Amino acid sequence: MSQDLPPLQGYPAIQWKRNIPSRGFRPSIYFAIFIGTMGYGWYATINGIHERRELQREKIWSRIYLQPLLIAEDDRDNVRRYYNDLKRSKEIAGDEITDLKVYNDGKFRTPHYHWVDN
Amino acid sequence: MGNKREPSHNHTLLIDPEPLIKEIPQVDEVGASSAPLVSVSYFIGDRCAPYNEDFMLCKEQAKDGGEIECLKEGRRVTRCASSVIRDINENCAESFKLHWQCLNNSNYELFKCRKAEILLNKCVFEKLQLEKKIPGVKEQIHLKEKPIYKPIVEDRPSVIAYDLAKKEKHS
Repeated sequence: MSQDLPPLQGYPAIQWKRNIPSRGFRPSIYFAIFIGTMGYGWYATINGIHERRELQREKIWSRIYLQPLLIAEDDRDNVRRYYNDLKRSKEIAGDEITDLKVYNDGKFRTPHYHWVDN
Repeated sequence: MGNKREPSHNHTLLIDPEPLIKEIPQVDEVGASSAPLVSVSYFIGDRCAPYNEDFMLCKEQAKDGGEIECLKEGRRVTRCASSVIRDINENCAESFKLHWQCLNNSNYELFKCRKAEILLNKCVFEKLQLEKKIPGVKEQIHLKEKPIYKPIVEDRPSVIAYDLAKKEKHS
């Protein structure tokens, strides 16, 4: 009994892959471009961050050099108000009042109450 | 609406006008506003470092805030700072004014007034031997030649003065 066999030369090749022309560069080149762009971006960013930090440092040192001056002026004003409050209290209440301190810790406190002239 | 009462919390009433008591020596306050102070701060730091450090040490070692104990040191600090401002006003008035006015118009950002600052620093170094120096850094940011952060619009008067100074230097 004769059977249905493949042809003697074999079957013709089947085209299983589409013939699409390859576009663009090799993947490695795209990778390199990507890394290069990112690298430059990070370089610029980090430089900017460093410069910003130095500018901030400049501002802070400028303030540090001024701080004693500002504190001294403020202290002098507080002391002036403190002694004047004391003087006025003595005028009103006599010499019995020697100090305006409310707390017993002996610390200097900024005068809270303002003097109103009326 | 219909209230015609005078304001009772008027700030002019709340200022104590009495001067400091006579037992404490008087000292003239610096009397400069923010921009001139920022402008001269590094020169104050250069000349007055010993006084400033002495004052801060006194405040640190005082039992309370040291307001009364450190009045003497405070007067020294103020006198020294006043002397710096007076000297700069006498010797470098033009570039000083240029710089602090630029700062006033630039939100007190020092990097926006580099041109005026270069003129001021040069003048102050030549006349008073005071130098701007940021401590503890390798690179002084104000001497950086190509800074990334620049003002969007340069201060016009300082640009004119800077270019003029440059021209004079070359000729």
